Amino acid sequence: PGWAWPGFGVPRGVISHTRQEEAQAIDQELFTEYQFSVDQLMELAGLSCATAIAKAYPPSSFTTSQPAVLVVCGPGNNGGDGLVCARHLKMFGYQPTVYYPKRPSKPLFEGLTTQCKKMDIPFLPEFPAEATFIDELYGLVVDAIFGFSFKGAVREPFGSILSTLERITVPIASIDIPSGWDVEKGKADGLQPDMLISLTAPKKAAMHFTGRYHFLGGRFVPPALQEKYALNLPAYPSTDCVLQLT
Amino acid sequence: TPVSPQAFPLPSLPRKQPTVLVVCGPAQNGAIGLVCARHLRSFDYEPTIFYPKRSPDPLYRDFTTQCEKMDIPFLSYLPTEVQLINDAYNAVVDAVLGAEAEVTEGTEPCEAILATLKHIRIPIVSLDVPSGWSSESGAAGGISPAVLVSLAAPKECARRFLGRQHFVAGRFLPYDVQRKFELNPPEYPGTECVVAL
Repeated sequence: PGWAWPGFGVPRGVISHTRQEEAQAIDQELFTEYQFSVDQLMELAGLSCATAIAKAYPPSSFTTSQPAVLVVCGPGNNGGDGLVCARHLKMFGYQPTVYYPKRPSKPLFEGLTTQCKKMDIPFLPEFPAEATFIDELYGLVVDAIFGFSFKGAVREPFGSILSTLERITVPIASIDIPSGWDVEKGKADGLQPDMLISLTAPKKAAMHFTGRYHFLGGRFVPPALQEKYALNLPAYPSTDCVLQLT
Repeated sequence: TPVSPQAFPLPSLPRKQPTVLVVCGPAQNGAIGLVCARHLRSFDYEPTIFYPKRSPDPLYRDFTTQCEKMDIPFLSYLPTEVQLINDAYNAVVDAVLGAEAEVTEGTEPCEAILATLKHIRIPIVSLDVPSGWSSESGAAGGISPAVLVSLAAPKECARRFLGRQHFVAGRFLPYDVQRKFELNPPEYPGTECVVAL
């Protein structure tokens, strides 16, 4: 794939695809050395996701009568990113609906849930039983189930959810890692999203991504940290919080 | 808030280096200035911060750490010789006092800072309200910013703003809050978080 170099600087090398441990180390450094709060970075991450989605799937492109989007949120931070994304999608004129079956009882997630509810974003009591129901009701599904910390077996209800999502025909936009994929090796028979929004830097799994749209988001990595981990991130255009890679 | 790049795009700056001075007061307005400085840095500007009276609030202290770790310099004093400021920077971000500040406070170091800023020639970008203006009555011998960035919605004193550009930023007000307070905010274009009025 050709990288979308905006011409701001000489690319220093191929963009780095980080391993799971590196991604975790960068995160840790942002929280401990730089004293960023999870709230701050989650807000910027979720905003990037909504912005990337708006660029690739503008409301006018939906064939459903309203630009209806289903946001499926998992039990951890990737789910939190999804909640933030849903809220910004609402501000951008979409009609998001959230499915959030496993909610951590922490103020951060409770707050994000309240913000969505107070903005009249519905929370489904159960997941659509059939892939065809999803295809009829929504023009896009946001996969905010598992992120870069995912390891091991998929626990219910997410196994069934992913099985259903593997059968839908409307596009899926995955946040950071297509859920269910190994963070480094991918998953050939797993979810095949149309869009991937890599946060901070692409992970190794992104090398197995074959969808149409790959965006970079999470424009908060300080230059010194980019240098330290040799991320070779291309320049974001102007003040945009997302960069289209393919 | 990514306003400075819209008002002062990088290629248009008069100085060779894209330097910006961000003056931060002791409360929330100052903290917003710290966040602004950090984003300016990631947009390839060269911000310098003057933050003489630091808030003890843990969140604001973290904002300070984030700026320091991003190699944004903190001045130890603000030159009273305005020509030094005019020569060193392209613009000044005024994040000294917000809408909640009492004009009668008159506490240092804000008074001295504002006295200096009144005389600079380079453009001032004020965050939310021009510092030192009373929320209701406005200018009367205070600073004259070229650009005003109203946060969430314009405040009363914005009616008296005479500078060249007025932006609204902070695209987070839920629709029911907008309706409840009859804010009638302008439409933000696309996915922008800033809109020019």
